[in-house]
Amino acid sequence: MRAEDLLTDTPTASAVAEETRKLPPPSAEATESLRRVLESSARAATPAPWPALLQEARGKMDSRHAGPVTSHRGGLSGPALVLAKRAFRLFFQPFINEALRKQVEFNESILDALATIHDVQREHARTQAQWRQEVDRRLARIEAATRANGPVEADVPAPGPVVEVGTPGGPTRTPAVETPAETKPPAPGTGGGGRRRGRGGRR
Amino acid sequence: MLPLAALREPGVKTQRRSPPPSGPRAIHQLLPRLAWGDAVGNQVRYLQGLLRQWGHPSEIYAEDWDDACKDQVRHVRECARDASDDTTWVVHHSFESRLVPLIARTPGRKLLVYHNVTPARLFEGFERKVAAACDAARDELLAMRPLVEHAFAYSRFSAEELSAAGFASVSLLPFAIDWSAFDAPADPALQAELSDGCANILFVGRAVPSKKVDDVLRVFTAYQRLYQPRSRLVIAGYLHRDGAYGAYLHGLKEVLGADRVRFLGRVSAAQLSACFATASAYLSMSRHEGFGVPLLEAMYRGVPVVAYGAAAVPETMGGAGLATLSDAPTDVAELLAVLDRRRALRDQVIGAQRERLRALSQDAVATQVRRAFDEVLSAERVAPPVAWPSTGVELVCPGFTVRPDDALSRVTRRLVERLPGARVLALRPRGEGPSETLAPTRVEGRPVWHYTPDQPVGREGAPLPGSSSLETAVRVSSTPVVLLGADTLCAQALAPRVGARAWGVFEPSVAATALEASRQHLGARLRPLDPSREDGVVDALVNAVSSSRGISHAR
Repeated sequence: MRAEDLLTDTPTASAVAEETRKLPPPSAEATESLRRVLESSARAATPAPWPALLQEARGKMDSRHAGPVTSHRGGLSGPALVLAKRAFRLFFQPFINEALRKQVEFNESILDALATIHDVQREHARTQAQWRQEVDRRLARIEAATRANGPVEADVPAPGPVVEVGTPGGPTRTPAVETPAETKPPAPGTGGGGRRRGRGGRR
Repeated sequence: MLPLAALREPGVKTQRRSPPPSGPRAIHQLLPRLAWGDAVGNQVRYLQGLLRQWGHPSEIYAEDWDDACKDQVRHVRECARDASDDTTWVVHHSFESRLVPLIARTPGRKLLVYHNVTPARLFEGFERKVAAACDAARDELLAMRPLVEHAFAYSRFSAEELSAAGFASVSLLPFAIDWSAFDAPADPALQAELSDGCANILFVGRAVPSKKVDDVLRVFTAYQRLYQPRSRLVIAGYLHRDGAYGAYLHGLKEVLGADRVRFLGRVSAAQLSACFATASAYLSMSRHEGFGVPLLEAMYRGVPVVAYGAAAVPETMGGAGLATLSDAPTDVAELLAVLDRRRALRDQVIGAQRERLRALSQDAVATQVRRAFDEVLSAERVAPPVAWPSTGVELVCPGFTVRPDDALSRVTRRLVERLPGARVLALRPRGEGPSETLAPTRVEGRPVWHYTPDQPVGREGAPLPGSSSLETAVRVSSTPVVLLGADTLCAQALAPRVGARAWGVFEPSVAATALEASRQHLGARLRPLDPSREDGVVDALVNAVSSSRGISHAR
């Protein structure tokens, strides 16, 4: 952290920056692993337009106003009917508005709910795609390591460093070895699978 | 109270009414929704208590309210019945209310209390309805200008926007906090659960996109992976699990793979006390705070605060805690690690936080609030006509001061020289706080109007942040606008509003998505800036703007 990136009077920004410089540098592997995961999770804020499949319904949401007044009759009766219909609407529109107010509110609510469901599905799909990419990447790394170390080492995971992870009953020590099982994607719609342990690369 | 010089044309004077009738007048408050436990609701109740204590009849009127508040509130339709010309209305504004017509027809004097409105862009991609409501709330703010005599803001950041909007009389109101509410005993079950030796990083607030809980997750992941494997993230606050942002957060949590992330949802006062009692640090990456009560709550409870210095956050923290201008997860994780490992530094931070709270004691705040109200009420001012500086053309170049060597800044300098009466609007340099008075400062001999960015300006190459104040200042003017940097967040927000009188320039290297709004609203008035043909662009802009103004004396 640079001192110019800090706004603090006590302790001073330079004192805090100095302390951050004294922190033991994390391992290159951990830093690289973190960089990768942060990169894969990055997402620019982009406007989400209304889902195309809801656009038509959205256009018809406000049911208080009917289409343009017409008549199929010819002669004088056609224009007279159009005039009468217009007069009717003009006079009764406030009552129509009031009668249909709840319906319009309902239409709006149901469209919002549908749009939300659409957005949630989109988020799940995005998460699943990120997971697939992560799984592919990890598999590629495992395959590369297998080719380099020979088939025996690939089948039997070597004892590696351990990290402490928490459980409801307290911390336990778990081998920090990445296996395909650890990268199981969350079940669709659940927002996540069970607790995964020791992820984050070998430390 | 700190009176703010408003943007007022010479000759516009404060009008005075006849002396007030004897006896305390009613001072009622009006807001769209009275909620139990949120910052606005707490302020409203606090002000009511003070006003009644001073002898003023005082009621709260709202259109909607939480069940817990039903005995404290009256419906807004009773406003007109209960009001007279001597009544003073304190109107709270923080979100779309649809109350402006009612405010206009209700008799009495009106004072505005502006809590700030979250910029709509912070909800984009997740909450299109909320984003639209935020835009509507800003429209309502502008619509209230002719209706209110005086506007209060809880931070200089908000006051700056009011001044930019053309409110003629603006001042600061100290934010009152009922500190005793934070003394609730901790929930023993939750406290025991969280006291397992892990370093608990806490965030308190609604999990909405503007609070950037996703960045909190990223910072925590960096902290856990690089510095403290035995750590836990506790997020206390309402999370709409069925919403897009809730789904995004849960997906992100899985992708990041951080262990021990707890979304507690809405918590009781006792559970919140347990969260603070077991927290090793409070972390906020929020992109918008009109004030930031949880930061002060953490300070009160002796928890060191690490916060991203966006909007009014640096002002709220007042130099205490660790406010950072960097949102890089590894940078912020370093601060958490330092607080975890350096006891002396941690104690220093907590000591400075305690010092900060002394200025916010309830007695001191009550005195300041009374002074603020007395000054406004005794002045008997009538809202003067809204006025803002008349200029020939608005040159919106957010990076003019912070990135003076950019091609767009060069073009702006040349346009200033050739367009008489042109006004440059730019972002304030990094680390410079909001100003209570809006006046031009000279940059290389040219007058430049600086506005506070909503988030700190990033390092070289990072996209420039938006600025609600700057955007508001451009919206209220009626002169032609040149958007120098049609891809910037300011331009994206302004294009739909001022597109009909605007021209835009962009560097060809920018992403097409960033130009979408400008393309849509500016059409042929949007031009690429070829560095080898700057002269041509400057000439074309000068001719286009001059002809639109009907002048032919551009130099």
